[in-house]
Amino acid sequence: MVAQGQKRKLHKEDERGGSAWESQLQSVLDISMDKFHRDQALMEPCLLRSVLINNTLRQVQSEVRTQVESLSAVKSPTKLKPEPDFTQLSPPAEHNAPLLSPNAENIEDTFMAWTSEEDFSLSSAISGILKDLDAVIDAGQGPCASQRAPLSSVENLTPCPLRTERTSDMASSVKTELMCPQDVALDKLLLDIDTAVFEPEVNLLQGFSVTTEDLVKYLPSLSKSPSASSSSSLVSHCQATWEIQEIEHVMDILMRTYPQS
Amino acid sequence: VQGPRGGVGGGNDFQWCFSQVKGAIDEDVAEADIISTVEFNCSGELLATGDKGGRVVIFQREQESKNRLLSRGEYNVYSTFQSHEPEFDYLKSLEIEEKINKIRWLPQQNAAHFLLSANDKTIKLWKISERDKRAEGYNLKDEDGRLRDQFRITTLRVPVLMPMDLMVEASPRRIFANAHTYHINSISVNSDYETYLSADDLRINLWHLEITDRSFNIVDIKPANMEELTEVITAAECHPHQCNVFVYSSSKGTIRLCDMRAAALCDRHSKFFEEPEDPSSRSFFSEIISSISDVKFSHSGRYMMTRDYLSVKVWDLNMENRPVETYQVHEYLRSKLCSLYENDCIFDKFECCWNGSDSAIMTGSYNNFFRMFDRNTRRDITLEASRENSKPRAMLKPRKVCTGGKRKKDEISVDSLDFNKKILHTAWHPKENVIAVAATNNLYIFQDKIN
Repeated sequence: MVAQGQKRKLHKEDERGGSAWESQLQSVLDISMDKFHRDQALMEPCLLRSVLINNTLRQVQSEVRTQVESLSAVKSPTKLKPEPDFTQLSPPAEHNAPLLSPNAENIEDTFMAWTSEEDFSLSSAISGILKDLDAVIDAGQGPCASQRAPLSSVENLTPCPLRTERTSDMASSVKTELMCPQDVALDKLLLDIDTAVFEPEVNLLQGFSVTTEDLVKYLPSLSKSPSASSSSSLVSHCQATWEIQEIEHVMDILMRTYPQS
Repeated sequence: VQGPRGGVGGGNDFQWCFSQVKGAIDEDVAEADIISTVEFNCSGELLATGDKGGRVVIFQREQESKNRLLSRGEYNVYSTFQSHEPEFDYLKSLEIEEKINKIRWLPQQNAAHFLLSANDKTIKLWKISERDKRAEGYNLKDEDGRLRDQFRITTLRVPVLMPMDLMVEASPRRIFANAHTYHINSISVNSDYETYLSADDLRINLWHLEITDRSFNIVDIKPANMEELTEVITAAECHPHQCNVFVYSSSKGTIRLCDMRAAALCDRHSKFFEEPEDPSSRSFFSEIISSISDVKFSHSGRYMMTRDYLSVKVWDLNMENRPVETYQVHEYLRSKLCSLYENDCIFDKFECCWNGSDSAIMTGSYNNFFRMFDRNTRRDITLEASRENSKPRAMLKPRKVCTGGKRKKDEISVDSLDFNKKILHTAWHPKENVIAVAATNNLYIFQDKIN
C-alpha cells in the first residue's frame, strides 16, 4: 500500500502553499469529489459517510479560501483568469501543473479560479447531496402519510415519532432535487406560464396529487418559449409533443424520488 | 466486580490460547457469511453471532468436562435461525439489508433465553427455548396429528410427557418496526429490564419490551434544514445501573450523557464529553478519525470507553473535559490516512469491549490483529486470529508491526498489512477469560491458559 502525499501539519504560522500541502489538498479534494459523485449515484448513501465527506470538502474549501486570502494580502490584486466553467465540479488535471509551480502569481490565479469554481460548485454540491438525501430518505414520513397513493405499501404508516415534520418541505425538497444550479433563475420564469395547458396530463395520474403549480416549476426547459400571455396551447404540434415527452420524463423522475404525495 | 486476576502480556498475565474456530475455511468468502455482530449473554453460557445474511447463530458452552482440566468447556452450536430477511421499501424504492447490526441479550428470567436483534430498520425480540419432552396419548388425535376416528375413542386418558431429543426453538415474540427513518446503529437494554433504546443516525427511541406499536423519541438531532447537517449519532448505550441515564456518541468525537428524568426529550445533554483537539496533529482527516465508532460503559458504571479510528479512550463519567486514559491501537496508520481515506478503510467501525472486572479492554485492528490493553499495568499486546495459529490449546504469540527502520524477524511492516482482514467485532466473556473474535466469516474463541 502506498501512502499518497505526506501529511503535513497545518500550523497557522507556517508558510502556506508548500507543494506537499497542495498535493495533499489536491488529493483530498479529488478523492472527496470522487466519493461524493459515487455516493450520489447510490439510492441510499450512508449518512455518516456522506456527512464526513461533506465536512472534509467544506474543510478543503475553507483551506483554499484562507490560502487565497493570505496570498491576496501579500500581493495586490492582478488581472485574473476569465470566469471558469461552472459545469466542472473539480479542477481538471492540468491544474496540477500550475499548482505546483513556484510562480506565486500563477498559484494565486489558479487558486482564485479554482476557488470561485469550487466555491459555487462545492456549496451547491454539498447542498445538493444533503437535500437529495433528505428527499429520498424522508419522502415517506409525516403528515403526508395520510395522502399516500392508493397502491403504496402499507409500511411506514405507524404514527411517526418524529417531532419536527415538515409539510411545505415536501415540495421544496423535490424541487431542489430536480433543479441544477443553472435552473435556479428559470424558476421565476416558470411561475408565469399558463398552467391550463398541463391539466390533461395531470389528470391522467390517478392518485398522484402533486399540484399543478408544483408541476409547472419542474419543467425548466419549457421556459425557453414563454407565451405567458397566451391562453391557448403553445405554438405547434411538434412543440406539444415535445412538451408531453418532457412532462413524462419529469413524471418518471418524480415517481422515482417522490412516490407518494 | 470480583473477577479473574491476571494482566496482559507476560508475567502474572493472561496467556491466551487458541480454543476453537467456527466458520468455513474457504478462501472464497460468501458475503452473507460475514459476521456483523458478536455478543455473550449475561452468564457467558451462550454466545450469539449475527451475519450479513440476516442469520443468528447461538453457541452454547458445554459443561466442564472433568477429563480436560486445562481447557474449559467448548462452545457448540445451540441454535441457528433466520432473524431478518431482505425487504423492499416500496415507498422509497429502497432495499433494506438483512444484515444484523446488533444483538443484545436480555437478562435471563426463566428457562428460556431472549435476545434482541436489529438490522437497519427493524428490531426483533427472539425467544430461544428448549423442548426435551413431548406429550403423548392425546384423546382426539393420534401421534401423527390426525384426528382419531370418534368411534374408536372408548376411554379417556391423560396425555403423558415423554422425553424426546432436545430441540431448540427460536421464535420471534415481538417485532419493533417502522420507527427508524435512518439506519439503526445501536440497541441497548435498560437496567430496568423493561425498556430498551434503539439509535439511528439522527434519532434515539425508547421502547417498552412489551409494546411494539409505538416508541418514544428521546433524542432528535435532525436539523430543520438538512443542508445544515454536520454531525450524526454513531452509537448509544444505557447505563448499566442507572436506568435513567444513557449516552450517545457522535461523528465529531463527542459523547453526550443524558438523564431521562430531566425532560421527555433529551436533546439537551446533562454532560458533554469532548477532548480538546491537539492543534499540532490537525489534518484534513482529523474529523473523520475522531468519529466515534463504539461506546461502552464499564461494568462498574463508573467509566465509559470510546473507540475512534486510531485509539481507544477511557472516560471517567465525572470528568468531561478529557479522557482519563488513551490507548493507541495502530498509531502507525496516522501517516497513511490519505490512502485509507481513498480505499474507504478510514470509515471502518471498530468495536471495543471490557473484561468482566474492567481491568482490561480489547479492540480489533487490521491484518486480523486485535489489541488488548491492561489498565493497571499499562501493558498492551497484539494478537492475531488466524488459521495458522489454530492448533488446539496453542498459545498465541504476540505480534508486532514494524513502523520504520529495520524490520526485525517476526515483525510485519505496515505496508504488508492486509486491510481486507479487519477485526471489527470482539466480545469478552462477562466472568471468565474467554474471548470471541470475529474475523470476516470466521469466529475465533480464545481462552486464558491459567485457571
